[in-house]
Amino acid sequence: MTTPKRIIKETERLVAEKVPGISAVPHDDNVRYFDVKIDGPSQSPYEGGVFNLELFLPDDYPMTPPKIRFLTKIYHPNIDRLGRICLDVLKSNWSPALQIRTILLSIQALLGAPNPDDPLANDVAQKWKEDEKAAIETARQWTQQHAKA
Amino acid sequence: MGAKVPRNFRLLEELEKGEKGMGAEACSYGLSNNDDLLMSDWNGTILGPPHSVHENRIYGLKIHCGPSYPDVPPEISFTSKINLPCVDPRNGKVDPTKLPCLVQWKREFTMETILIELRRYMALPQHKKLPQQPEGSTYD
Repeated sequence: MTTPKRIIKETERLVAEKVPGISAVPHDDNVRYFDVKIDGPSQSPYEGGVFNLELFLPDDYPMTPPKIRFLTKIYHPNIDRLGRICLDVLKSNWSPALQIRTILLSIQALLGAPNPDDPLANDVAQKWKEDEKAAIETARQWTQQHAKA
Repeated sequence: MGAKVPRNFRLLEELEKGEKGMGAEACSYGLSNNDDLLMSDWNGTILGPPHSVHENRIYGLKIHCGPSYPDVPPEISFTSKINLPCVDPRNGKVDPTKLPCLVQWKREFTMETILIELRRYMALPQHKKLPQQPEGSTYD
């Protein structure tokens, strides 16, 4: 099976024009499967942490969005216990004009701006709304515990 | 053709199918630990097939998907006691050399494939009247 040009181009660009705090490296045996690392944004409870994710480009990519999830445990209202992410551009607002790069930037932005009104992890979102300070402190502790390189 | 879906995304697909109950009615499965990022251990159930000694019984199973799943089949064992030629009577383990879908495993097969085939195996004419332990007995 040949790799679609679109995927080759995106992969080349990910290597050639690095995005600060983000990396995505394809597996040797599967060009559609990427190991991703995202640095926690500064001035967020995730600052100082390095988060591992995995990304997969399904057959009908870019007509359908990439599949992506966190492999590092993270305390965040829009990310569930299995690392699945609730983000509009990964679902209804996906467009083939978006790319791996833009999706990863959106995820990094989501870390900097949690949205407890559109939760995936209901228990986390509730804590976030009831006592934001305590929730942020928990997120910081989890970062220390699970996301240290 | 076809992109090779990596293990974890395959298991997420299976999880979502199982959660939505989109699968066969007589079998179900789910993660045994909702915090397990590796999604290795699963619980399954099989509703005993009608017109057999198993009718109206619910059998529990444990499924373990190792790091090479779905390139290799999962390990599967009954937690409810059952008398079947493909099941080790000491511990409930399903013998991978005796169940056809495990012998001829294909990457497209899922946990549901195995549960459905086990249920069909229970209903075979030569198996459906095998004497069984009282309902509810389990392997330790």
